[in-house]
Amino acid sequence: MGAPVLRMVVMLLAACLVVVSPVGAQTPRPSLPDVPNPKLVEAEAGRFGGTLVVTSISDPRTFNPIVAQETSSTTPLGYLFESLAETNRFTTEVEPNLAESWTVSRDGRVWQFKLRQGVTWYDGRPVTVDDVIFTLDAAFAEGVQSSLPDVLTIAGKKIGYRKIDDRTVEFRTEQPFGPFLRTVGGLQPVPKHKLEAALRAGAAEFNRTWGVNTPPRELIGNGPFIMQSYTPSQRIIYTRNSRYWKVDRRGQRLPYLARIVIEIVPNLDAARLKFQARETDVYGARPREYAEFARLQQSGNFTIFDGPPTFGTEFLIFNMNPAGVRPPKLTWFQNVRFRQAVSHAVDRDAIIRQVYAGRASPQWGPVSPANKFFFNPNVRKYPHDPARAEALLREAGFTKGADGLLRDSGGNVVEFTISTNAGNADREAIGNLVRQDLTRLGMRVTFVPEHFNTLVGKLTGTFNWEAIVIGLTGGLEPHNGQNVWRSTGSLHMWWPRQERPATDWEAEIDRLFDQAATTVDQSKRKQLYDRWQEIVAEQVPVIYFTTTLTQPAFRNTLANFSPAPLAFYDIETIYYRTPYR
Amino acid sequence: MLQHILRRLLNLIPMVLGISLISFIVIQLSPGDFLAEMRLNPIVSPETVDQMRVNFGLDQPLHIQYLRWLWNAVRLDFGYSFAFHVPVMWLISSRLANTLLLNVVALTVAWLIAIPLGIHAARRQYSWSDNSLSFAAYVGISTPTFFSGLFLLYWAFRTGWLPIGGMTSIDYDLLPWWGKILDVAHHMVIPVLVLGVFSVAGLMRQMRANLLEVLRHDYVRTARSKGLGESTVVNKHAVRNAINPLITIFGFELGGLLGGSAILETIIGWPGLGRLILESVIQKDLYVVMASLVIGSVTLVVGNLIGDIMLAYADPRIRYD
Repeated sequence: MGAPVLRMVVMLLAACLVVVSPVGAQTPRPSLPDVPNPKLVEAEAGRFGGTLVVTSISDPRTFNPIVAQETSSTTPLGYLFESLAETNRFTTEVEPNLAESWTVSRDGRVWQFKLRQGVTWYDGRPVTVDDVIFTLDAAFAEGVQSSLPDVLTIAGKKIGYRKIDDRTVEFRTEQPFGPFLRTVGGLQPVPKHKLEAALRAGAAEFNRTWGVNTPPRELIGNGPFIMQSYTPSQRIIYTRNSRYWKVDRRGQRLPYLARIVIEIVPNLDAARLKFQARETDVYGARPREYAEFARLQQSGNFTIFDGPPTFGTEFLIFNMNPAGVRPPKLTWFQNVRFRQAVSHAVDRDAIIRQVYAGRASPQWGPVSPANKFFFNPNVRKYPHDPARAEALLREAGFTKGADGLLRDSGGNVVEFTISTNAGNADREAIGNLVRQDLTRLGMRVTFVPEHFNTLVGKLTGTFNWEAIVIGLTGGLEPHNGQNVWRSTGSLHMWWPRQERPATDWEAEIDRLFDQAATTVDQSKRKQLYDRWQEIVAEQVPVIYFTTTLTQPAFRNTLANFSPAPLAFYDIETIYYRTPYR
Repeated sequence: MLQHILRRLLNLIPMVLGISLISFIVIQLSPGDFLAEMRLNPIVSPETVDQMRVNFGLDQPLHIQYLRWLWNAVRLDFGYSFAFHVPVMWLISSRLANTLLLNVVALTVAWLIAIPLGIHAARRQYSWSDNSLSFAAYVGISTPTFFSGLFLLYWAFRTGWLPIGGMTSIDYDLLPWWGKILDVAHHMVIPVLVLGVFSVAGLMRQMRANLLEVLRHDYVRTARSKGLGESTVVNKHAVRNAINPLITIFGFELGGLLGGSAILETIIGWPGLGRLILESVIQKDLYVVMASLVIGSVTLVVGNLIGDIMLAYADPRIRYD
């Protein structure tokens, strides 16, 4: 990294850096004795003290933030570690966090992040650029079991990073990277002085470091709470971090709560009973429970919110992979009119009524309306219309015989199997409804729920399936779905890992994802992803069903609870109106 | 006797080998592996998943995987959990005591209630109390534990008299030692009731049948005609002989101490071994499943052995050499 030529380039680049972020300083900025520029969290100013009790339905699997992948681990660790930049859950804008500001070069390839001054780990050591560099080194180390490299590898090239000074770190990408702030900005530094020895001992050792058998007090973070104890399958207890570096409007150091308890319960039914018995303070009610909870609000001293939609999606896909199905089925599934007809035949309102008790809305494209910025409402829609479906099938050469069965132009009866993962009651119900809808068109459909592992094996390995009802989790950044949408992607479920795009529209989606990845201007990126949503709705490789709503319930003694799609509350600003617990 | 015990313990070796080999093959033959869920995560690349397969040693041929596991297991190293990145033995030991506590208490309670009830029912055969005990026993035997567990949880929820699942309260750590004992006892009422009622029902019927059988024997009539008091006849002579088959059952129950309460643990949120095993089977966390199977089969064999030894002690007619 020390070559003179390179240093020249850096200096040249530094000359054309543009300041992007720092928030306007109209009001006098609060400050703390040790943190000159603490982060201000906008919320109603509250009072201190109290214990928040929440539930989790699974045990954490590791306390090592670099190895952690599932929400059962990342959620408990979320109170301990903070990211460089974070997405504001209301505006979905990226705002400074551990990094107080950043700059990007004019060509969009070089980013410099400046760490907030005076931020310390629990043990009083400052959070420095060395910690950031160490975190990246660890994530990229051969054999370390982390999914971070997948996020930090851009167009096949590992991201470049180096230390400028104690508070400044520089990142460098081969090409401008559009989702940079949301992906790289989400990096959560870990303390080098605590984990360095483990990494030096090898990747296998590092993967085991900070496992769930570590005494929690050894987990050194910089977040609002400190983990006090973990009792397997029972609970995790946190206490307030008195060195935290965020303040409220009055300049008081956050967080307000004195303690957090995560009760580990076996299932959602137990979580619900505990909430109703007032043992816990928050419960994410299921759609069917909304009406009942709304009735119980008064007597139960809680409020149930008509919550925001979720990011996750549920859909039906047909196999268009020649390695998986043969004609004539392959020909039907590859025919866009066939898929459009199926989408018109699906009665989404029935799904909303019968599966989600009215707590959902029809979905037509790959982006959930929860994603306010990227959601494109102007895409082709497929309202329930059997006549239109039949017309589309006729156009595609299908005819319905006197026996009521649908046949293609070659005289083959249209019959296929839809699977889903057994045990998921929602999907099983949806699958049954879809089967009924399609049977009305004259298709002979069998619905077979299968074991989840079998299903995944078919989707990603043998490709030996016809149609599947399944779902994916989603997020704010469409780029993170590239593994699904690029024709080369391993999760491009209808035909994964194509050598070259099988259709023009798949080629166009590939181009759109390439462009959006290398465009830094967010409004231009939005246009590109808008087009992608139009194509998907037009070609319906994925037939979406509904966007479900959330219905969080929250004890009335607590304040600053304001559900947004990304999160229902900020843990720092939750407080008790009245002394309780 | 000692020789017999030794022989039985030696028999354990081929048995555990067989059980472990068969279970290893069956687990691996069922579709998918621990990484299935990760494959459906859009953010995780297939290369990362493949790397993990290598890290876990899942890319090796089956027999190599088994031999490796066996070689380590012989040295009491049961490997690392895929899901938790911690030694399997830590996972198991962190839950073992909870399961043992629950089952030992339930077992003790059940035996203390069932034996006297069984004796009572046999002595007053077809009386009003015998009939109602029989009826209660049939209800108890035919109610699955998951149902009675859920029912009692709901009842606890309605009345607020008992905690809703779990083993300790939120402020457990702040309690004095006697408070901790009371707290755990409070949480144990429901699971002990569920497990206890279930086994009381069976044991009581067994005891009743055995005692009735013995009471018909000639020596009982002799004892009675000698003029011995009824309680001496029953307690000293009849019960002593009627209890032998129950000792064998006791051996079996010892074997079930670790795994017998899995379903109930999952329902009421008892932080025990059963719940861990159930979850690891579902997730295909291979080494956790293997270790628990081995431990389960060893306890079953040892439990039976203890039962047999106790039987030999209780009944001088039984000899093992």
